[in-house]
Amino acid sequence: MSDSEDKIDFAMVLASSVHDMKNSVGMLLASLEAVIEEMPPTNARQANLFNTLHYESSRINGELIQLLTIYRMNSDFLPVSIDEHYVVDVLEEQVARNSSLMETGNIELELRCDEDLAWYYDLDLVGSVVHNVLVNCVRYTKSRLILSADIEDEFLHIRIQDNGPGYPDTMLRSPTDLVDKADVNDGDTHLGLYFAECIAKMHKQNEHKGYIKLENGGELGGGVFSLFIP
Amino acid sequence: MSQINYQKLSVLVADDFSSFRNTVNGMLLNLGVMHVDMASNGDETIALCEGKSYDVILCDYDLGHGRSGQHVLEELRYKQLINANSLFLMVSAEASRNIVMSAYDCEPNDYLMKPITGRMLEQRINRLLTQRKVFSEVNDALKKEDFDSAMTQLVDMSVATNRYTVMAQKMLGELFLSLGEVNKAEKLYTKALEVRQLDWARLGLARVKQLQGELDTAGQWLDKIVQDNPLYLPAYDVLADNWEKRGDGEQLQSAVEKAVTVSPMSILRQKRLAKVADDNQDVRSALAAMRKTIKLGRLSCHGSSDDAFMFARMAARAVESNVDVPHTVAGEAMEYLHDSQKQNEMSSEQRIQCNLLQGRVHACTGRRDKAQQILNDSFDLSDRGKIQFDTDLDRVGLMLGLNDKEQANELLEKLQRQYSGDQQALQKLDVYLDEPASDANQEVVASINREGIDLYADERYDEALTCFERARKQFPKHAGIHLNIAQALLGKVKAGDYADDLERECSSVFEIVASLVDKKHPQYSRYMRLRRKAVGLKIHIHS
Repeated sequence: MSDSEDKIDFAMVLASSVHDMKNSVGMLLASLEAVIEEMPPTNARQANLFNTLHYESSRINGELIQLLTIYRMNSDFLPVSIDEHYVVDVLEEQVARNSSLMETGNIELELRCDEDLAWYYDLDLVGSVVHNVLVNCVRYTKSRLILSADIEDEFLHIRIQDNGPGYPDTMLRSPTDLVDKADVNDGDTHLGLYFAECIAKMHKQNEHKGYIKLENGGELGGGVFSLFIP
Repeated sequence: MSQINYQKLSVLVADDFSSFRNTVNGMLLNLGVMHVDMASNGDETIALCEGKSYDVILCDYDLGHGRSGQHVLEELRYKQLINANSLFLMVSAEASRNIVMSAYDCEPNDYLMKPITGRMLEQRINRLLTQRKVFSEVNDALKKEDFDSAMTQLVDMSVATNRYTVMAQKMLGELFLSLGEVNKAEKLYTKALEVRQLDWARLGLARVKQLQGELDTAGQWLDKIVQDNPLYLPAYDVLADNWEKRGDGEQLQSAVEKAVTVSPMSILRQKRLAKVADDNQDVRSALAAMRKTIKLGRLSCHGSSDDAFMFARMAARAVESNVDVPHTVAGEAMEYLHDSQKQNEMSSEQRIQCNLLQGRVHACTGRRDKAQQILNDSFDLSDRGKIQFDTDLDRVGLMLGLNDKEQANELLEKLQRQYSGDQQALQKLDVYLDEPASDANQEVVASINREGIDLYADERYDEALTCFERARKQFPKHAGIHLNIAQALLGKVKAGDYADDLERECSSVFEIVASLVDKKHPQYSRYMRLRRKAVGLKIHIHS
């Protein structure tokens, strides 16, 4: 056997185990949601436990999807299919996907989007960005989230606002530079933001390119995540 | 959203995990669906669809061992077990439409990404059923082939501004193209492109150019599309068609190779690659693609015994003509033939073909007695009147494999008479004949010859030789072409361009012609005349 056959392509092994893990987590989530429905929590402690279980498995799920997508992006095997879609469809779907998570976390989620608003984007990729940000917000918000979309200067602007403590200063300054310097110990690698920015950049129209923006304040006085798609 | 009567819906849920099936079943019951069937693998799913038609099929992509959701969908469409009014939703744990590039050929109505929640399912089914309702009259018209009505409706829908506009535009474009309404299609795609450079509209316009015969323009646009979006599979197919129309076999092969790289699981593209490479006499690529086709065919409705037969023909031909292929290829061919006997239901015709091919492989691996036995037996097996052309060709192959030229020529002559009106059959015979029998190939030879003879008359001998060589590659047994080559070589010698290798070449051409023509052959006197001329030029010819 030659040397090249001896060595394992670690990225590929990782990608295929991530794929397996994702299947398992999917089953875990589905069973968990069934359990919550059949046996609703009877006291605050139980509700809290359910909430943690639910949030953490959603987070693992989201991270695994991100990993797979980034793997594909790096190996040039991520088909991007940009077409006209109704924006409310992608937002409603993410709200529905996370409705149970919002309920167990006692979070009120408000969706604001014109029913007739249509734009050009990749449905899956933009959907997964919105999903990740929503899951992340569940962790930091106190009680409310606003998910909204409109058109601003020929960009589709999808915005997710919370009433939590807001993004830390370091992130506001250069959100995606942090990926390289990520401190694994602090529990957040900021991979989510890197992922969001990559997806945003894949959307191009004429000279414009998509991007993301982090702010604090907004209507709810917490963190504001914005995704701009040309 | 309009009201959907869930009670009336029949739904099929296919997944290899029972917990997932039960979860989804529970969600559907909550929505009020009364009829839910469940399947745990691909075969069960297809069997259920054979017995009953479902409004909605929720099928997981990964169905465990055996066939995938994509195989299931392909087979359901292939066997027409689902129609335009039923919904097939592909469920997967992965970022949906990225999972299989080959899904471009056979797209589900939509994708659902796991984990699924009850609300998600409700939203999606609502949206799709509403869409189905909106398009139901169009689909009915298309089914009845009432294209005027479908067109009128789609035109109205494609100028309205709502969530069905884009889909109506896409359908209308396809309809225009399939009906040959090229100018209308051009208008539609051009208008769509005014808003955005979307891949589907760019591809549509390239197809318009192709149909208008502007193959250069179409080619440039297609190159640009795959350059911008290298994973946009349909563009490669149109690009391949474009090279095929331009008659450039090598570029055609390279385009199909790219499509196969992007979509390695697509059996139909592998099959096309095998055929294209075979036409280009690229035996290694042809065998490799056919090997993959056979492997993919084990789970696909597009796999058949004919794939194994094709492999055996290519392998035998390669061994017989000493092409540099691994010596294991004959054994491999034998294995595939055995497998297909075991696994597939064969028609009596296919059984005979399979036997003949086994004989041919025996012959080329030195087991002549076995091969001879199979050839002898094959005459008893078959009722001559009903024999298919392709079977007889395999018989010719076996005879030639046994070096029985006389018997082979006898059968070839018989076939030439029997199929004198069938140009397609004649084209297949041309490979074995010394002069092409089909109109198309006769024209090919005639036009190459005309070109070469003009060049010869202008004393441009090297160019003339290149031209004749091209014809010889295609029709290696054509005596006239060989003699043209000899004549051009002699012209070169006469012009003072004398060299040893020229003499050798000349001598070998005469040797080949000697094996092709006898005294009764129409080219015999020309052959003798050129031979005398060569001797006059003091060229030494082996006799």
